[in-house]
Amino acid sequence: MRAFVKVLFRGSSSLAILLALRLTGFASVDDAQSFALQAAEPYIKEGFQVREDYWGGDLGSGEKKAVRQQLFKGNEYWFWMGTEVERARISVHIYDAEGKLAEQPDGWEKGHFAAAHIIPKSTGSYFIIVNIEESPEERTHWALVYGFR
Amino acid sequence: MIPFARYLKLSVLVASSLTLCAHGAQAPQHIDVKQLSKKVEDVVVPLPNEVFGALNKLGSVNWKEYVRSDKGTNFTERPRIALLLGTVIADGFIAVQAEDAPAVKEIGQRVQTLARGIGVERSITQHAKAITEAADKRKWENVRQELDRTQNSVQQAMNEVHDEKLSQLVSLGGWLRGTEVLTAVVTKHFSTEGAELLHQPDLLVYFQTRLQAMPEFDLAIIREIRGALVEVKPLIDVGRAHISPESVKKINDITTRLDYGIVTRE
Repeated sequence: MRAFVKVLFRGSSSLAILLALRLTGFASVDDAQSFALQAAEPYIKEGFQVREDYWGGDLGSGEKKAVRQQLFKGNEYWFWMGTEVERARISVHIYDAEGKLAEQPDGWEKGHFAAAHIIPKSTGSYFIIVNIEESPEERTHWALVYGFR
Repeated sequence: MIPFARYLKLSVLVASSLTLCAHGAQAPQHIDVKQLSKKVEDVVVPLPNEVFGALNKLGSVNWKEYVRSDKGTNFTERPRIALLLGTVIADGFIAVQAEDAPAVKEIGQRVQTLARGIGVERSITQHAKAITEAADKRKWENVRQELDRTQNSVQQAMNEVHDEKLSQLVSLGGWLRGTEVLTAVVTKHFSTEGAELLHQPDLLVYFQTRLQAMPEFDLAIIREIRGALVEVKPLIDVGRAHISPESVKKINDITTRLDYGIVTRE
């Protein structure tokens, strides 16, 4: 809820300056999460239920992190990654338990947003690899949310 | 002025560059998961409706059979309340599957009472109200979202006061109730695809690890869950093999027994 409020908050031009100050001064994983949710927004209209729970942290430029997630055959999933560092370039990819790339080809990366799509062939654990490809910051906050239908 | 043919070429070039930008670098086709294992973050525990949604796609389920909205027992021990809270939220998702508005509303009230019992009521008051409103309007997607928000807000409130272990018990209670209903449905109309939804070995290990780190919660129900997870593990950790009807039935017996222990006073 708090994160969705933040997304709305960002939409208001009169408050944009306040947010910019907040991002530069006190940037956090919460800010990264609101960008990840922003990437997810168009998919909600397509029937994806976006989870409130999320992963987040900070990574150096060129660093990767793996998160493990239980996925169910029959569902369709999107994972959306975001960071508040606008000049960063990030990516997210999905691998099965054996380490084989398992995502659909329509994943995308657009600067400080990235997304990966999977229709699991089997029920089980999958690895989602998040990567800060490039960033002007020493440490870059990231957040990963997911949705399913 | 740019001739049309050149304009066309230029447009194609720009469009392909944008596509390349949007897709970024090619991901490796294979990674070494053993190298990753030390750097892997915790799982996010799936909501019961994630598995219910997958189950629905295999054939129609009479969700009304599984709706439960009775007030149940009140506890004073915080770990017991946390487990029960997770179970009741899972019941909320079942009531949504059944599109049973009165049950959803009762469950919303029950969640609020239990949240009060562990001092996190304030975090969910608005969600409980939203659940009631959405159930009245039969806006089921909104109810699902509010149930997720309720669970998330309760867990965040617990984490903020360093009650992470209680927060994990909320997830565990929900998972157990979800697994009980999943196995009941699959036992009734067995299919290998339905049974495959139980293939959740890493999630089971996650809960085992968390329970091992809770020696201070020396309660009979917690001990019973610890023992039961050891029993369940070989039944679902079958690699590429199929989960048998007997295993599904056995898991249902175990989770039904645990659920009884969670919702009733010993």
